Amino acid sequence: MEIQVLVKPAPETEGRIAPTADGSRLDPAGIKWVLAGYDESAVEQALLLRERSPGTIVHALSWGPAPRSEEILRAGLALGCDRATWVEAPPGFEPTGIDAARALAAVLADRPAELVLLGQQSGDSEDGLQPLALAALLGRPGFGAVSRLTWDAAGRQFSFLRSLDHGAEEWTVPAPVVVGLRQADQDPRTAKLPMILKSRKMPVDRVASATVAAALDGHPGSPPLRFSLPAPRSGAKLIEYASPEEAAQKLLKRLREEAKVLP
Amino acid sequence: MPDFSLSPDLESLQDLARKFARTEMMPRAAECDRRGIFPEEIYRKAFDLGLMNLNVPAEYGGSGLGAFQQCLIVEELGYGCAGMTTSIIANCLALEPILLGGTEAQKREVLEPFCRSYHLASFGLTEPGGGSDAGSLATRARRDGEGYVLSGEKCFITNAPHASLFTVFATLDPELRHKGISAFYVPREAEGVVPGKDEEKMGHRASSTGTVRFEQVRVPAAHRLGAEGEGFPLAMRTLDMTRTPIGALATGIAQCALDHAARYSRERHSFGKPIGEHQAIQMKLAMMTSQVRAARLLTWQAATLIDAGKNATLESSVAKCFASDAAMRVSDEAIQIFGGYGYMKDYPVEKLLRDAKLTQIYEGSNEIQRIVIARELLRRYAP
Amino acid sequence: MSRSVLLVAERSGDHLARPSREAAGLARRLADGGTVHGLLLGGDLDGPAAELARCGVDSVLRAEDPELLPLRALPWATVVREAAARPAAGVILLADTIFGREVAGALAALWDASVATGAIEVRPAEGDRIVVRRPVLGGRAFQELLLDGPRILLTVRPGAFPAPEPAATAAPVAPFPVAPIPAPLRAGRSAGFTGDPAPAAGPDLGSARIVVSGGRGLRSAGEFRLIEDLARELGAAVGASRAVTDAGWRPASDQVGQTGRRVTPELYVAVGISGAIQHLAGMIGSRVIVAINSDPGAPIFKSADYGIVGDLFAIVPAITAELRRERGA
Repeated sequence: MEIQVLVKPAPETEGRIAPTADGSRLDPAGIKWVLAGYDESAVEQALLLRERSPGTIVHALSWGPAPRSEEILRAGLALGCDRATWVEAPPGFEPTGIDAARALAAVLADRPAELVLLGQQSGDSEDGLQPLALAALLGRPGFGAVSRLTWDAAGRQFSFLRSLDHGAEEWTVPAPVVVGLRQADQDPRTAKLPMILKSRKMPVDRVASATVAAALDGHPGSPPLRFSLPAPRSGAKLIEYASPEEAAQKLLKRLREEAKVLP
Repeated sequence: MPDFSLSPDLESLQDLARKFARTEMMPRAAECDRRGIFPEEIYRKAFDLGLMNLNVPAEYGGSGLGAFQQCLIVEELGYGCAGMTTSIIANCLALEPILLGGTEAQKREVLEPFCRSYHLASFGLTEPGGGSDAGSLATRARRDGEGYVLSGEKCFITNAPHASLFTVFATLDPELRHKGISAFYVPREAEGVVPGKDEEKMGHRASSTGTVRFEQVRVPAAHRLGAEGEGFPLAMRTLDMTRTPIGALATGIAQCALDHAARYSRERHSFGKPIGEHQAIQMKLAMMTSQVRAARLLTWQAATLIDAGKNATLESSVAKCFASDAAMRVSDEAIQIFGGYGYMKDYPVEKLLRDAKLTQIYEGSNEIQRIVIARELLRRYAP
Repeated sequence: MSRSVLLVAERSGDHLARPSREAAGLARRLADGGTVHGLLLGGDLDGPAAELARCGVDSVLRAEDPELLPLRALPWATVVREAAARPAAGVILLADTIFGREVAGALAALWDASVATGAIEVRPAEGDRIVVRRPVLGGRAFQELLLDGPRILLTVRPGAFPAPEPAATAAPVAPFPVAPIPAPLRAGRSAGFTGDPAPAAGPDLGSARIVVSGGRGLRSAGEFRLIEDLARELGAAVGASRAVTDAGWRPASDQVGQTGRRVTPELYVAVGISGAIQHLAGMIGSRVIVAINSDPGAPIFKSADYGIVGDLFAIVPAITAELRRERGA
């Protein structure tokens, strides 16, 4: 089987973040880019599938600007991916959302992989559009929020658990399929030092931006206007209550309606 | 590296060590320090990731890193926990005599098993009767048929209670002083090898340090490193290789102290503003920053010379000496910035001071380093 | 300027899903005098359709077809695209549920729109443009995007917008004919629901979206169960203060603080934690902090967004129970 696993750089979660001078977007200066969390899980699951199904090839693919995309592909190689392809972003394109799906679909259309695997959403823009946008563009069935992904080589089909807001369903889908991964079967592995050294010398294939430019042209965008950090705190708003039940209801209501942090 | 920035290749190694330090070492550091726990599972993980036998060439299964690469890794580990780092890199010290003085057969015999699965080795030079005065060591090696019999005691030996192999320096004839010393490697299971108790230490409490006694231990001639009488220069060449990473470890401690102090200076308020806005604190932070940066660059320079195959005796002594003194100064000032909290074990900085102290003492005390520095310096001014 | 809005609604059991009801309220506001059509897909839609008809929409369309169940994003998106063409909709609005986002992903490609997901604020801008605000980077920052053009696709975060009160009169309900769905898009079969959804992030503290931490106020290791129960209901990771890990109630790797992990979740719930600087250093970067503590003078309240002063042994089980009740368990 061939797996195309899509990887994306995201800012390190502990690093400092700040807007650009014009306030429109995240300032990339000084950002440490790491493999986005869900994509890290996707790589882990791809490697697990390869371990369980010998002969599987895991091919890492990333769209974006140098050097961060190439570095993230090397991180994938260090984890154990067999090959890597960097799809160069045309100048001016920030590698987010639907544009990424269009660029990657243009490359993936010619690659008859049984599985296109990626994180269910990226760690920075978090738009979560890519898995199904890719599926639509490639004309293959697609599912987001997948866990427990297995491959039945004889039946040439995948089985997985697919999460929805109210529960989870078991699915069986014949290849090829596009999967947005919610959770790998185990915590993502850490690249070992000898593999890191080896990955630095492995080739990273390059697809020139001209190859995907046509796929990106003429589509509506959603330009960023403002990037802002939460306001500093000035002391907790205390919840008044007559009973614990009331305290619970009031808290949850405010977390939903005011803080917008709970569904 | 004219602009002193790291290449992506080097950054990837640094990232690995940083991630390991932050996610594996730091969460356990305070607990291990407080209770004197030797966290073997962390050391096993370090081994699994290739962070243990950094200096062993890849042909024997090691990581095969140069001095500069080692320093980048050791600084990050030192940031996480100096004690754990000392135990993790103890193999580099103990195996270096084999790398420098061993035959091909000896290297294959010892190094390959060490790189295949988790093992610890200890470097046995220091004795109760003398540390810096290595020429006076009292552990005796007596010729006996085809081999030798070792007897004597080594002390302050890192990982000794857990080691499966010791590299040991012993004298065939104390009258010959330095020239009587030979080097051997001795497996833990050899009869008469008696590791002593784990010492209670001021710092580096996640590391294990102990004595080891050799009671009439039979060692085959095949386990001698180099010729008879070549032990002392071998020990010195070994320390030449490992001195610079100690500078890196100390730099890691200093950087950690600086990060804690700077963050605290933004969070803690006094007289109506963050303490970082008081000049008294700013003066300290500026001094600390300068110390950390100088320590790092001196370490990098020594490592670069070593990797280029050039003599780095002066530079590595300067790096080790300066960085360990910097670690002391910076962690001391960090405690001062934390005030009363800094003196409490609930806060991380007092540990850094206790850990820093050892870096001025071990692997050649700073007094020895200064003698080396002065000797090298004056040699260049010979009339 | 008025817009024509197509609301793609989801059901929950025999009802309209609450997030879709909230989206309906926003749809009416965005339409600004224009029309709002509500679209339901699947089968057996009487209950949800009747509720949607009273959510301020101008009409309810029922697309009923066996191919639309079980839930698959591509067949849904195909039908939604059809519905958005007759009459032409300028905005397609969905609730940002797991499945809503899948449908939005497919639509983003098929309908070629200016798109944003997970909006928590939406405001009209000049012309027929729309500005949305959405959390990014795990809630550490906010982004505002400009949506523009003849086709705008938007998902809104559940809970972010008020649900409208049921209207006195019901809008008309009409069937929406479903054209045959291409076979590749409806490949695969489902064995149906098997249990709870998988947690979105692993057990790792560092990457969790929500963290619930317990402190000395819990009094014993056994009482930490209260924290674990609440964390399970919230899909959260469990953290602890240094007092707790030192006492051995939780492993040292769970410690949040200066000498432990630094976490930056969207929501951090500190239970029975006084809020020493040592602990604050590890969680102050969280987007929203809730403190539950019996001591009104505890410093944690100075650094929290919401506080409940009271007995955690009563409050925490009440929150857990409320979450269970809402989920219908």
